[in-house]
Amino acid sequence: MSEIQFRNPGWAGNTGEFDLTEADVRGTDYVGETQLDGGHPSVSASLPYMLVEKNPEAPLFEGPYQERFEKIRSRYPTARAALLPALNLAQELRGHISPATMDEVAELLGLSNAYVRGVATFYTMYNKRPVGRFLIQVCTNISCNICGADEVLAAFLEHTGTEPGETSSDGNFTVVEAECLAACGFPTCVQINSRYFEDVSAADVPAVLERLKSES
Amino acid sequence: MPDNGPRADTVTLTIDGREVTVPRGTSLLHAAETQGTTVPHYCYHPGLSAPAQCRICLVEVEGAPKLQPSCVTMAEDGQVVHTDSPAARRMRQGVLEFYLVNHPLDCPICDMSGECKLQDYVFDEGREHGRGREPKRVFGRDDFGGDVLYYGDRCVMCTRCVRFMDEVARDSRLTVVERGSRAVIDTFFDSGLEGASFAGNVVDICPVGALVSKDFLHKARAWDLDHTPSVCTSCSQGCNIELHTRDNLVQRLMPRENQEVNGHWMCDYGRANYEWMNRPGRLEAPMAGRGGERRAVDWKTALEHLFVRLQGGTGDVMVVGSAEASNEGLAALGWVGEAVGTVSARVFRSPRADDEEPLPGYPLLVRRRDLAPNVDGAGLLGFERAGDDTGAGGLEAVAGHDGIVLVLGDGLADQDVRFGASAGLFVYLGSFDSPAARNADYVLPVTTFAEEEGSFVNAQGRVQRFWPGLRPPGSARPAWLVLGALAAALQGGRTPASAAEVFAGLEAGCAAFAGLSYDAIGESGVRLEAVHG
Ligand code: SF4
Ligand code: SF4
Repeated sequence: MSEIQFRNPGWAGNTGEFDLTEADVRGTDYVGETQLDGGHPSVSASLPYMLVEKNPEAPLFEGPYQERFEKIRSRYPTARAALLPALNLAQELRGHISPATMDEVAELLGLSNAYVRGVATFYTMYNKRPVGRFLIQVCTNISCNICGADEVLAAFLEHTGTEPGETSSDGNFTVVEAECLAACGFPTCVQINSRYFEDVSAADVPAVLERLKSES
Repeated sequence: MPDNGPRADTVTLTIDGREVTVPRGTSLLHAAETQGTTVPHYCYHPGLSAPAQCRICLVEVEGAPKLQPSCVTMAEDGQVVHTDSPAARRMRQGVLEFYLVNHPLDCPICDMSGECKLQDYVFDEGREHGRGREPKRVFGRDDFGGDVLYYGDRCVMCTRCVRFMDEVARDSRLTVVERGSRAVIDTFFDSGLEGASFAGNVVDICPVGALVSKDFLHKARAWDLDHTPSVCTSCSQGCNIELHTRDNLVQRLMPRENQEVNGHWMCDYGRANYEWMNRPGRLEAPMAGRGGERRAVDWKTALEHLFVRLQGGTGDVMVVGSAEASNEGLAALGWVGEAVGTVSARVFRSPRADDEEPLPGYPLLVRRRDLAPNVDGAGLLGFERAGDDTGAGGLEAVAGHDGIVLVLGDGLADQDVRFGASAGLFVYLGSFDSPAARNADYVLPVTTFAEEEGSFVNAQGRVQRFWPGLRPPGSARPAWLVLGALAAALQGGRTPASAAEVFAGLEAGCAAFAGLSYDAIGESGVRLEAVHG
């Protein structure tokens, strides 16, 4: 964990009353990466970062990923139902869902590639293009918007030197606008990879970015 | 009805104040149709599943807490349904307003204009003025390959096209890409619809002008087209179609519903094959005289002289028919042959494709190997297939025959100028001239199926009628009339006044057709098997 001080520790529910670090709350063993086998389902969805290096050329699927894919396939009655988690897995591995990935997943599940494209493009959480090491999603929906989300977004873009959806030249950051992240009580909410940063103001942005860089 | 008694197989309900009785399992939308009310709908199509997603067919059912989608709500005993109550109308108006939020309203340059369901519904029940002030998003158009062009801005996202490709063509190439106001229909990136054999149907079922035919693009306005019920002549399936004509030209072919032949569909091959009906350079006047002596004559002269020659001729007759000719034309051809002598050859030629092509989700419809509409009719009328699978060859005996040679509808494309040189009398009836007709003593111009009335027998053994949609060029006449007149003169009968009369004669003379009449065949056809058990 970084030593950089800033107001917002970056995990949900911190009201400043306790002096706990994230590692204190979650334990250290899984902070910072997704376990290869996906880990226990109870935590796999709440992992804070997914910093495992992505390889857009990684094969679909091999070794532990193959096992996870088999598990996904066996958990659902139809191939269509298994498509969402299968795409998740592919994205975890490759970082984004390219047309070639859609085609491969379609082939693996016996679905038409057009159908897979339809599903992948319906959900904004599938990256259809490569993204930086940190995907910064700034909520600009009502609550956050009232509390200055536009400035927060502008600050992220300014400090990363990017346009929305573009990846910074060091490959670290991609900033996008997001619709409601369901943290309306803590505006502005910014989701960075799998973690929520709450109560973010434009002034917090440089420190947040510094911390991310120090972790990358 | 006793509580535990058998359930009646009909239900009675009230729709818009009128009582209707329909079979159990009928949707409210269909029940309303039986009493003449069309409930607006986009996503529902009788040939596809009903996802109830377009929300425009909602009707009020008394006692139900909310408006119900009439396409999937089944009629129940005692239901009281209002399709036109203030609540239903208000809701439709609201839904229509949403449909127009991003719709370009480019009806003046849209091919669907005049037969568009968005245009119709908005005209009937929409708001008089739009309230939107925001700019509309613009997608432009996308070439899907094949004959299909997509205008994303006009799409109402009914997904009929997607479901057609999924459920009927079983080739899931179309999908909804993106969501919300960014949603468009597309294929997998650039893969397109190229090579799909039934994709043209998505243009027909698109309720708006989002999917249009490239072939028909900006060619004609819907309200200028005349619709003539007909039968596709491109294979022996005989899909029921309509000829859409303007300025005496066929502008497009569209499937006509027949649940026993083609459902709502037709294949792209048949759909595209119509230009020949408009081809110029037709035979327009009867001609008499061989080779260089050939000259145009009027019908009276031609038929009188031909009648004399036929009467005087005796002996061996060879007739060449065609699987593109109507039953009536072929029957009359046979009568003339039989009236003047012994028919020693009675043949037709017809090309065959290497394989057939079924429509997977509607297996009744198969693009057949035989690429002509009346192979079965010709067979029933005593014509034997000659030649090979390209529709060539097999006429060696006829070409050198020294008796009477009668040819109807076969263009003799593979034959050379010596064809019929030694014939005592050679009569060629066709729509187009042929080099091989050089030795014909009489060249008689006959109409195509698009210009005449008649019937074919399809590969299911189904007799199907077609009607004239075009005026014939010059003095071309239906073959049944020309040959029927000759046969009547030779046999001392009366010249038939209509195709129906020829059919009546055919019915009397040919066991396969016994018991049938033109009236009974009607627009949807009759299976011979059904008549004869
Ligand atoms: S293109 Fe036509 S058929 Fe397809 S979803 Fe759009 S409106 Fe419906
Ligand atoms: S299947 Fe045959 S009859 Fe039907 S449209 Fe195609 S070519 Fe015409």
